[in-house]
Amino acid sequence: MTATATSGRARPALLAIVGYTLRACLPGRRWVGILIPSAASLLFGFISSTVADTAVSAFTSVASNALFSLVLPVTCLVIGDAVLGAEVRSGSFTFTWMAPLPTWQIAVGRWLAGSIAAAGCLAVAFAAAAVVAGAGETADSVAIAAVFGAQAYVAVFIAIGCITKRAAVWSLAFVFLVERLLGAALAGIAQLSPSWEARAAFIGLSDAREDFIREGIPHGTAALVRLSIISVVALALASSRLRHLRLTGSSD
Amino acid sequence: MTDPTLPPPPPPPVVLDPAFVADATVTATEVSVWFGQKVALSELSCSFGPGVTGLLGPNGAGKTTLMRAITGLIPVNQGHVTVDGRSPRNDREVYRRVALVPEDEAVPGGLTPRQLCAYVADLHGIADRSIVEWALHAVDMVPVADRKMDGFSKGMRQRSKVAAALVKNPLVLVLDEPLNGADPVQRLRLIDLFRRLGAEGRTVIVSSHVLYEVESMAERVIVVVRGRLAAAGGHRAIRDAMDDVPRQVLVRAPDGRRLAATLLGSDVVAGVDVDGDDIVISTTRAKELAMLLPRAARDLGVHLTEVRPLDDSLESLFRELVR
Repeated sequence: MTATATSGRARPALLAIVGYTLRACLPGRRWVGILIPSAASLLFGFISSTVADTAVSAFTSVASNALFSLVLPVTCLVIGDAVLGAEVRSGSFTFTWMAPLPTWQIAVGRWLAGSIAAAGCLAVAFAAAAVVAGAGETADSVAIAAVFGAQAYVAVFIAIGCITKRAAVWSLAFVFLVERLLGAALAGIAQLSPSWEARAAFIGLSDAREDFIREGIPHGTAALVRLSIISVVALALASSRLRHLRLTGSSD
Repeated sequence: MTDPTLPPPPPPPVVLDPAFVADATVTATEVSVWFGQKVALSELSCSFGPGVTGLLGPNGAGKTTLMRAITGLIPVNQGHVTVDGRSPRNDREVYRRVALVPEDEAVPGGLTPRQLCAYVADLHGIADRSIVEWALHAVDMVPVADRKMDGFSKGMRQRSKVAAALVKNPLVLVLDEPLNGADPVQRLRLIDLFRRLGAEGRTVIVSSHVLYEVESMAERVIVVVRGRLAAAGGHRAIRDAMDDVPRQVLVRAPDGRRLAATLLGSDVVAGVDVDGDDIVISTTRAKELAMLLPRAARDLGVHLTEVRPLDDSLESLFRELVR
């Protein structure tokens, strides 16, 4: 019998949850689903370089319409579902849930892990896309907007996972019905949308194309603050709903 | 008029409902749970105390629902559940003393059993890592403790989950079909482990479809049928209480037809079915049959080669209760 770990000390529970989530909820197969959209960012960057416009202007257009509207939500959906919804469905969430911890620690731990994965992946991919597009001067803006957008999206998808059983379906509905359809028509909805706010943050920070600034929603730094508020509210909702979760198991 | 000098009469003896135990750690009171239109548990009341208690019932009877209600994984729609005096749904401190081994095969596949146990220890603030090694050793997982659980068989996954549950050093251990997929050697080892845990004073609740194994490890049985409490107590006591249920006894004897004819003349025997040397006797008075049978065989000069009850098991009890 090995006794390599007969002594030691317990890691803080929050750190344990983050470590567990990164290892257990995001195995190799999941990373394929995460890295494919990230690789698509580079493709969008290349497409942008072929547009007959200035590099910055073309990349701003491509980033707004493809990176922040498609790549960002799809990648975060895969990660957001993996860190909670998928575990709840499979039944292995009981290992975490049956611990004497306040539910906010569980929600925040899962969100931190998901945000680290999503933000790290997308910030690098989006910055690389900017470089490929020949708009390297916007790389920092697009990376910052990606980080804030990713953490807001992951929080929203975790909250959806705590509220509904079919988290992936409802998350898709949120992205394509609420954000894309309603958000395009109503500024009030766009103000609560990570996609619209991340895009507004990028446009405001890069000062590239004022014609892309949408009236009625904050942009630049104000959009980053708005994204942080969205995260806090979504996490508070997730934490509250976790207390009422019905863990019926995979057979149900 | 009563004489004031006499001491008061003793109170009547307390007859404890067999569904309850005196030193209960887990109590379910009038518990009802439903999922949409489907009633999973209906006004079920029982309690569990130190030792191993078997939870039995056919598929869909409500065993898993009861276990999930006990561990707070699902809320109850009516009634209430207490574990060590606390509500598992409202007081998360309960989880310091309660562990569940769920029936689901799901385990975090990217982790090794040792990592899973260490994770559970971290969540519970357990600094002493020797308990992780003890738990892995208890379920014989040390040789594979550093292999990822992705490629594990069902039995190995179950044992990994048992190890993760043991890390908590639980007062109440709830095991939903823990022997699923285990090979015969591991089954015996796990049965022995659960017995020892029960003997240590822990409340161990085990559900299983392999009824003879439950008989061998649980001194007390709770039977749930269609979401209701169907029976409770020792399995033999339950069986004995069902006097009006015919029991069947297989008698194997050459020239059994003569013996069958003699037995049919007795009011102890309700029916006889003869097939060659095999005689299946139905009776509602098993003890009297046990006296009559050897006497009749001796008088007839018939040599009995085998006598055994066909249905003196929880399996048959089950069938009767479900009928």
